[in-house]
Amino acid sequence: MKKIIALLLSVLFMVSLLAGCGSDKSNTQSQQQQGQQQTASTKDNKYKIVVMPKLVGIPYFNASEQGAKKAGQDLGVEVIYTGPTKADAAEQVKMIEDLINQGVDAIAVAPNDPAALTPVLKKAKDKGILVVDWDTPADKSVVDLSVHQIDDKQYGEHIWDLLVQSMGTDSAEYAIITGGLSAANLNTWINYGLEYAKSKYPNLKLVTDKIPSDEKQQVAYQKALELIKAYPNLKGIIGISTPAPIGAAQAVQEKGLQDKVSVVGTGLPNDSKTYLKDGSLDVATLWEPAKLGYLTVALIKDMLDGKKPTDGQEVPNVGKIQVQSDGKTVIMGPPTDFTKDNVDQFNF
Amino acid sequence: MKQRTKSKELWIFIILVVLSVLISARSNVFLRPDNLIDLLKNNAVLGIMALGMTLVIITGGIDLSVGAAVAVLTVLIGKFMVTFGGNLLLTFLVAVAGGVIIGIINGTLIARANIPAIVVTLGSMSIINGLMLYYTNGSWINDLPAWFIDFGKITLFKFHDAGGNVVGIPIQIIIFLIMALLTWALLKYTLMGRAVYAVGGNPVSAKRVGINIERTLIFVYAYMGFLAGVAAVTHTSIMRQVDPNAFLGFELQVVAAVVVGGASLAGGNGSIIGTVLGVLFMAVLNNGLILTHIPTFWQKIIVGLIIILAVSFDVIQRKRMEKSLPRVDVEY
Amino acid sequence: MLKTSKEMILLYVFVGLFLLMSAASPSKFLTLGNLQSMATQLPELGLIALGMMVVIITGGIDLSITFTAALSGIVGALVLSSGYSAGVEGTAVIFLIIKALLATLITALICGFVNGLLISYVGVSPILVTLGTMTLFEGMSVWLTKGGAISGFPGQYQWIGNGYLGFIPVPILIFIVFAVLTLILLERTAWGRSVYMFGCNPVATFFSGINTKKVVMLVYLYAAMMAAMAAIIMTSRYNSAKVDYGSSYLLQSVAIVVLGGTDIAGGYGKVVGTVVAAGIVQVLSSGLNLIGINRFMVDVTMGVLLIAVLLLNSFISKRKQGKGVKKEPKKIGIAV
Repeated sequence: MKKIIALLLSVLFMVSLLAGCGSDKSNTQSQQQQGQQQTASTKDNKYKIVVMPKLVGIPYFNASEQGAKKAGQDLGVEVIYTGPTKADAAEQVKMIEDLINQGVDAIAVAPNDPAALTPVLKKAKDKGILVVDWDTPADKSVVDLSVHQIDDKQYGEHIWDLLVQSMGTDSAEYAIITGGLSAANLNTWINYGLEYAKSKYPNLKLVTDKIPSDEKQQVAYQKALELIKAYPNLKGIIGISTPAPIGAAQAVQEKGLQDKVSVVGTGLPNDSKTYLKDGSLDVATLWEPAKLGYLTVALIKDMLDGKKPTDGQEVPNVGKIQVQSDGKTVIMGPPTDFTKDNVDQFNF
Repeated sequence: MKQRTKSKELWIFIILVVLSVLISARSNVFLRPDNLIDLLKNNAVLGIMALGMTLVIITGGIDLSVGAAVAVLTVLIGKFMVTFGGNLLLTFLVAVAGGVIIGIINGTLIARANIPAIVVTLGSMSIINGLMLYYTNGSWINDLPAWFIDFGKITLFKFHDAGGNVVGIPIQIIIFLIMALLTWALLKYTLMGRAVYAVGGNPVSAKRVGINIERTLIFVYAYMGFLAGVAAVTHTSIMRQVDPNAFLGFELQVVAAVVVGGASLAGGNGSIIGTVLGVLFMAVLNNGLILTHIPTFWQKIIVGLIIILAVSFDVIQRKRMEKSLPRVDVEY
Repeated sequence: MLKTSKEMILLYVFVGLFLLMSAASPSKFLTLGNLQSMATQLPELGLIALGMMVVIITGGIDLSITFTAALSGIVGALVLSSGYSAGVEGTAVIFLIIKALLATLITALICGFVNGLLISYVGVSPILVTLGTMTLFEGMSVWLTKGGAISGFPGQYQWIGNGYLGFIPVPILIFIVFAVLTLILLERTAWGRSVYMFGCNPVATFFSGINTKKVVMLVYLYAAMMAAMAAIIMTSRYNSAKVDYGSSYLLQSVAIVVLGGTDIAGGYGKVVGTVVAAGIVQVLSSGLNLIGINRFMVDVTMGVLLIAVLLLNSFISKRKQGKGVKKEPKKIGIAV
């Protein structure tokens, strides 16, 4: 009995410590926020901008967080970067609802599912909040601004071009490993790429439907091993979603097939460095996520100030942007290709 | 009692054989040594975790925090190796020590405070995952030392396959086999092993014969933690990078392999041979999908149907067998 | 006193948290807007938790419940979007919506029937069956949608998930109706009594002349019906249906049920406990979100809370036991 009481006490102590940590943080944070609100009301223009990724805690969205936060410092706006811990649209809707109640000036969201967010984004708009999508487009009719890293069509086609370049032939068998079957943006790129391949590379043969990998390197690795064995004439693998090309490259490397099977895909330079250098990953292509975060915040600040983006506009720290004819779809620019020669220049 | 366990294992074995025959009829790759070795290597981590989970489930508990525990241990050894260099033995020690600590905390809460295992481990799962992702932000750890990467590439018992290629058994499979033997011997030949079954089968009589239930339970969760540490090193040696999100949702796969292998959540039942067969069943099932060219959008449907068929077949067969035997006790 | 104590503790925790959050950010937490959005958010998970609770009371578990919701939502959405075009108006829309609701419900009931059949009539353990059907239902959802979202619903359908009656959101009204229904069914009917009895001792229940197979079948059908209700709210609220909507609700719903005092081994569980537990999770999640706490720390807090409340429960019940008659440790068993 005594032991139990001691145990209980120690656990309670730990809990209170933890709770203490939490509340300390929240206190300082809310004090900061209050402070910021006060300065905002005195110095009028301290906007509160929410940038919500699909989920927090993965390298890609960490890099964009840094960009968004940096833009916040540079431009004197408060950036709240928060999102669900799982890529679940339901969680995103709940968080946006809470944030509407928190009273913010703009919400930029990378939707896990565009259609799911339409009602809640409408609600935000009705409350006078500037509604923006970034990374992945939301329902076009509800957003005031749509920030794309890339032209989806161009990107899809670019990946297939890279595959053909790496294989050195356009008459070969290949397979696709994707992050998840229900990831909207991954599906968009794959569909554009497949359409393009049909007309441009009619001899390219996709051996089986895209294979899902749960956004995990170990699953992509396993699936790539099986693909190589099941389709002995396979000459190329496309990995869509950042862990997929790495897993595929590892399989190719372990089987010593660097010269026989080409791997291309979307990858972050730091994580794919090893495989780029030993030749198992031919090329990874991606935009710079930090720039995307920066651009999103910078353009929102302009919009809140009443300035609309213009085609060819030079955004500091990002570069020239394209604006499509609807006046609200902004494209950051072409992707960066990472190869064994240039990968050391990047750090994200 | 023994008889029943044996027959369970037998049926899983038969189902596994049938499945393998079906797959190899459609794919000549499946039974090739290199494929079987890849299959074992890629499921070694699942297997190691399932061994520990077997003990936990035999005591009538469950550990939903294993995925989070292995993930945090991979991060721990990743950081450890990148910061201090270290060596293999130390890395193993760090992982195992970390795992045992997590296990002891889980076990103490379950045994001493008498909270159901599912609640404690559900709670510790969110605590461990939350804290880990808060501190790492999900960033991968990339630059692991060369000696560790070389360790992951070790293969033993090299031989020539039919095509003349040199094939060896990867170290990860060896680790899994050693752990399986160790756990099997522990259950079969030690007093602790008997205590594990007794606590799960009938805690009241276990207590009457003088078994310390608290100590047994804490040992079981600590052993699970120990295996989580081994699994963390094994996983990292395969992937050569650390992704803190790599084990999200993995706990259900571990539980699935164990219960398919015949352990019952009510406790008292389960065996290492059954679990190894359960792991193999899940591994073969997943491996066969691409090899037999099953279209992507049909894969999950087929996996689901085969699991349902396999578990129902098992029950129906056992019921039929039990009917032919004299009824001794009421089964429920 | 002894019977209500678990639920009373929970209620205190709920009130305490509510006051704490109100004190932490009174200008944001205690607004009509926030209370309304909390009331809109709670029902999806709350309904799934109610369904899960009924299953857990029998000593089982339903791992397929979230994908039952996904699959039935998708079938309903397919009916809705395929039947809807710009020309459809008036009563035709209402008729179409009713058709879609029925399609959702029927699909879910079929899912529940498959579970119930395998568990009660074939005799496979619940975790194994629902492990298989979980994968099966997910596979069917992916196969039907090819991974995409089904959208294009009539505007009227959105009322279910986003509408208000007066100032009260419709979803919470649906939740209240089903919570009361569950309460009546479990605690006032013969079926309810046999559910509890089966959870305590399936063999004795069988020998007391109750058709246990039928009881268990109804339990899984009921859980599926709750999943269908959650699916209807979700598809309406998100104006679309997709395989991974609510995929994070599985372990969350189990956590809510056990936080609500339900015995994971079966035999005990109160609707009030589950409802209050769902409220606690919602207040914590929304409140911490409003304050701006890191999402991962929110998860950590949930974990700590879960363990702490149960620790408190076990501590109190031990003290009571200490005063009263010594009880033999009960065998923790789940119906096989």
